[in-house]
Amino acid sequence: MMTRKFLALVAVLLSAAGVTFAEVDLVTLPTRQGVQLTIYNSADLTLVRDTRNLTLKTGANRLSFSWANTLIDPTSLDLRALQNAADVDLLDVSYPPRLQQIAIWNVMSRIAGEVPTEITFFTSGISWRSFYMATLSPDEAKMRLQGYVRVTNNSGEDYENAQTRLIVGKINILDQIAMLSQRYPPYGQPGLVPPGEAMPAVAERKQALRRAKDEIAEAEGVVMAQKAAMPSKPKQIIKEGLSEYFIYTIEGTETIPNTWSKRLPSFQQDEIPIENLFKYDENRWGNSVVRFLFFKNDKDHKLGETPLPDGMVKVFRTVDEAGGLSYEGACDTKYIPVDQKAELCLGNATNVSVEPKLMAYKLDNFTYNNDRNIDGWDEIQTWQIEVKNQRDVNARIEILRHFKHQHWDIERDQTVEFAKDDLDTVKFTLVMPPHSAKKFGYTVTFREGRRQAQ
Amino acid sequence: MIRKRILLSAIALFCATAAYRAEARIKLVALPPRQTTVVRLDNPQFTLVEEERALALQKGENQVDFSWKGVSIDPDSIRLRILGHEKEVRLISVSYPPGEAALVWQIYSDIAVEEPVRISYLLSNIDRLVTYKAVAEQDESKMDLSSYLILRNFSGEDFENAKVLLDYGQAYDRSIDHEETKQLLFFTARGLPIEKTFTWDSETMPWDPDKTAQNVGIPVYYAIENSAKNPDLGKNALWGGKARVYQKDTQGSTIFAGEDNAAYTPVGEKVKLYIGQSRDVVVTRKKMRENQIEVKRNKQNQVIMYDTDELVEIEIENFKDKPAVLVLTEHIPEQGPFAATRYGRGEPVCQWDMEECSHKYEVKDAGTLEFRIELTPRSKQKLVMHYHRRNLR
Amino acid sequence: MKKLTAIVVVVLALCVQAMAEVDLVTLPSREGVQLTIYNSADLTLVRDVRNLTLKEGINRLSFSWANTLIDPTSLDLRALKNEADVDLLGVSYPPRLQQIAVWDVQSRIAGEVPVEITFFTSGISWRAFYMATLSPDEATMLLKGYVRVTNNSGEDYEKAQTRLIVGKINLLDEIAMLSQRYPPYGSPADGGYGGGAERDDNTVGGKRRELMKKAKGAMDMPAAAPAPTMVADSMERPKEIKKEGLAEYFIYTIEGTETIPNTWSKRLPSFDQGDIPVENLYKYDENRWGNEVIRFLYFKNDKKHKLGETPLPDGLVKVYRTADEAGGLSYEGACDTKYIPVDQKAELDLGPARQVSVEPKLMAVKKENFTYDNDKNIDGWDDIETWQIEVKNQRPVAARLEITMHLRHQHCDVKNEGDCGEYKKDDLVTTKYTLNLEPRSARKFGYTLTYREGRRQQ
Repeated sequence: MMTRKFLALVAVLLSAAGVTFAEVDLVTLPTRQGVQLTIYNSADLTLVRDTRNLTLKTGANRLSFSWANTLIDPTSLDLRALQNAADVDLLDVSYPPRLQQIAIWNVMSRIAGEVPTEITFFTSGISWRSFYMATLSPDEAKMRLQGYVRVTNNSGEDYENAQTRLIVGKINILDQIAMLSQRYPPYGQPGLVPPGEAMPAVAERKQALRRAKDEIAEAEGVVMAQKAAMPSKPKQIIKEGLSEYFIYTIEGTETIPNTWSKRLPSFQQDEIPIENLFKYDENRWGNSVVRFLFFKNDKDHKLGETPLPDGMVKVFRTVDEAGGLSYEGACDTKYIPVDQKAELCLGNATNVSVEPKLMAYKLDNFTYNNDRNIDGWDEIQTWQIEVKNQRDVNARIEILRHFKHQHWDIERDQTVEFAKDDLDTVKFTLVMPPHSAKKFGYTVTFREGRRQAQ
Repeated sequence: MIRKRILLSAIALFCATAAYRAEARIKLVALPPRQTTVVRLDNPQFTLVEEERALALQKGENQVDFSWKGVSIDPDSIRLRILGHEKEVRLISVSYPPGEAALVWQIYSDIAVEEPVRISYLLSNIDRLVTYKAVAEQDESKMDLSSYLILRNFSGEDFENAKVLLDYGQAYDRSIDHEETKQLLFFTARGLPIEKTFTWDSETMPWDPDKTAQNVGIPVYYAIENSAKNPDLGKNALWGGKARVYQKDTQGSTIFAGEDNAAYTPVGEKVKLYIGQSRDVVVTRKKMRENQIEVKRNKQNQVIMYDTDELVEIEIENFKDKPAVLVLTEHIPEQGPFAATRYGRGEPVCQWDMEECSHKYEVKDAGTLEFRIELTPRSKQKLVMHYHRRNLR
Repeated sequence: MKKLTAIVVVVLALCVQAMAEVDLVTLPSREGVQLTIYNSADLTLVRDVRNLTLKEGINRLSFSWANTLIDPTSLDLRALKNEADVDLLGVSYPPRLQQIAVWDVQSRIAGEVPVEITFFTSGISWRAFYMATLSPDEATMLLKGYVRVTNNSGEDYEKAQTRLIVGKINLLDEIAMLSQRYPPYGSPADGGYGGGAERDDNTVGGKRRELMKKAKGAMDMPAAAPAPTMVADSMERPKEIKKEGLAEYFIYTIEGTETIPNTWSKRLPSFDQGDIPVENLYKYDENRWGNEVIRFLYFKNDKKHKLGETPLPDGLVKVYRTADEAGGLSYEGACDTKYIPVDQKAELDLGPARQVSVEPKLMAVKKENFTYDNDKNIDGWDDIETWQIEVKNQRPVAARLEITMHLRHQHCDVKNEGDCGEYKKDDLVTTKYTLNLEPRSARKFGYTLTYREGRRQQ
């Protein structure tokens, strides 16, 4: 795969004397000392922290920063001195007329010499996502869960030896960074479309292109090798919570050239106890029984240290002693906070069935108004539900029944666990041994018309 | 690259009766430079520019030509004020030549004098935006707030050393060229206490997050008060603008925590910023009972009016390691034909009585209840409301 | 610039029949001109004085106005001296010639006779506009009035005595249309003049002539025809604008004369009054502005407010505020004002206020006092609504606030609670609360509305 080196971030110190900056002198071109990427997954946004040593002179310094062919949001640019901060003031930032992707900082310095500074900005085009592989034990009582993260760089800039941090969480964003990176002038123009309106077609096309590339890379299974010396063991990912976000910090630094992507293991946990859960709910799935893998993100399940970011889980099962695998299915999980339950939906179950049947129906307890017209009655339904588990392992089955309104009474088989879910929904829960069948019944009486108000 | 589009020239006419015509108009005889320029950006719609120049006036009649080709000025807004010899120097009339962005002042002077004048006008396509950058402490107790001015000059005119004024705060001496955008630090306020709240409203949020394919995020807000309790605030209203919130992390760095548009906030009010969504607080609402009681009937035994007996259960789980404050909003709406006849603001409401409620609430209006619920770390609690709606039909 | 015009008066030799063969006898120049410009319609009455050299007997006068916007049907001519000896016999609009009229004049004297030609033209307009400058405490203002006259009539009127008419005049036809119509009165084939064959004074045409006579009559009264010799424009001080009322109109006469060449316009100061007391008035009315509070500047066009001498013509008012001690200005907003008669109040609408707010909230509802008919059906009840109004003034100056509330019908009792200011029932279904708010203050008050419904209304 070929990489093209785009012209990238260039910081140039200008002589302060030049009023118009066509006449400026190039004083120094400081190189990047370090860079940190904080990549979000809920938005196309990465916070870049770029450290450079600037050689300042006493008095006014002008510093030009340009970012042609990258996807940087110019309105997010900031600069601060990391040392002698009290002696270095940023007076203003100018986006010069008729020039794109350039900003000029006016810096007043009370000291002369080299000053480490930090430049921060947002870029779009770098993304990450998590995904999982779950491997069930032959008896489906336990699973091994492996988590991965995959980072993709399409930002136009090579970030070498970057400290890489991944953010889990949903931030609020007003404008697409990709749109802001393409907008000229950076803050829009008075009297024209207000900032942050529709994304320009160019940016949209670029994004679509990026997505397509991403998918192709995915299909080819491109996993980039480390440019630095190959480490002897996989990198640790350090996880910590901050406000509503979770930060995954990848140990050491990463180099992900533009247009490349990289997969890193995030965690692995064996022997997680799980339960096979089957659900029947006509409102959601019609007559099908849907299979779930149930566990909790807690200590009892050997997890519970960090939330699990949303992502695709591929579920396999060990089928023989040699460790041969069969593919059980895949599902997108939601984000799972610590202590929260997880239900991995594996689709329709073929060998667990639930069949409700209406066995009897009658009307009773009529009431009459003054004209002897009927104005109330009871409707009595008798149901039988047949449940079968044809699998080799235990199955927990939840059956939801929806009633037409809240004016009902129920008489039921006391051997089945029962709960009122809300005013017109009830839930039956059964645990079925392997290769077993069971029938149970209930009678529901609906009060209609005036019978409801008695 | 300095562009001057607004031009001023003085033409001394010695013949008082000379009626001059467009083709005879002489331009640029003298170009008195701007001495001071004030750009006042306090009105969101229009920018007022005031400039002072010295006009070299002859004794007798003078014509001063003011033109603004390529610059959008409201001609009726142009005013000329004589600053030195108000008695001796008089503005007689203003003429507008055809098809030109220009005017001609007829000025009569009793003396030959170098007269300072102030010219003011409303200029379009130059304005300012305000943006904010907030950096919250790691524990979210306090934040530092910086506000920036974004000057956008697309007026067609370059301003050299203009004094840029806002409705409060210091003046900025800056040059700003046509098509230039400039960002300046407006103010910084440090150590502002943050009030962080999670919000859930039964009208807008899903009732059962278990039955949704995506996570249901609970909106999270930061609020800070624009009051003198904060030494750097509380003197003036805060302008609206985009606010980007960062948060300090454990690695000596920051993360970006979200952005929102800050609303215009007068003194004493709170700036409320929607940061993002929390997936660590989960709210599940269920209606467990809704029965008709106190049913009244007419002679035909038809129901003419009834009350209801209703029970709502709301389960609130905090999966976080930290306490949280949840602002939960409930609605008791009216239904049925009475509701349709109601007039006025908001949703139809009815009379209701709370029979029993597990938590304290504030009645925000006739149909809205607000609960402020303290959530302890890793906890679960249940809010139960038992109420009657009255006189429905 | 191309010279477009324009109006040429030629005295023709009588004997000649065909127009093409005319002899040019004299070409008298304009001795003086008066413009009376309306702002309610695109209409200016021009009074043009020329010295004609007449001979005894029949004189033919040709009047042409190519490339101007003159209404040919309004043309008139009268002698200013020896009126009894000069008769206008008739006017003819020669065939196949446009923008020309020929007068037949019978003179019993020979020699120079000053005549006045009057006609309507379109293309000259004026409008008033204002600049108001508030004092820093917003308690008083300086009001400057201007007029701006624009000439797009195709004709240069040099050194014209200029009068501006404030008032609404009734016009049947647009002068601009009449100036372009050929033949001048239309032709019988296309329905004729003014839309009918009948020509008596009840027809549209007749009425129009009547109107024109009235308009001209009105304009004749204050100042007679302009003096043939004009005083040179005085330039030493801004010209005064004299204002006087006449019938339904108000006439502004600009001192001296003005020259406004074709396509030029000119701004003239009309008046300048300082220290006018003003009040900051805020209004809230959901039917008109939704949830917004609208800011007004309130004053009256009367003696108390140092005005009241003349009505104020409609026009745009730009409002500024003195922002600093050096007299630096801040722009507050602009609004179109209506015509403000003497003693009438003026409310300048400055748009939505950001710092004054009104928030009404319905806090509780209740139904009571049910009545039943013979079948025990409900046929009447009371709806009781409890409202709370929160009012804030976050400005550093005092504000007067008018809150208008609308009841859903008239069968309603209002009971106010708390400091609701001055309460008044505006009409059957409208209530009004007027509050004086201190700088930076907030206040809450409430009221309970009891609506009687159904039989309870009887």
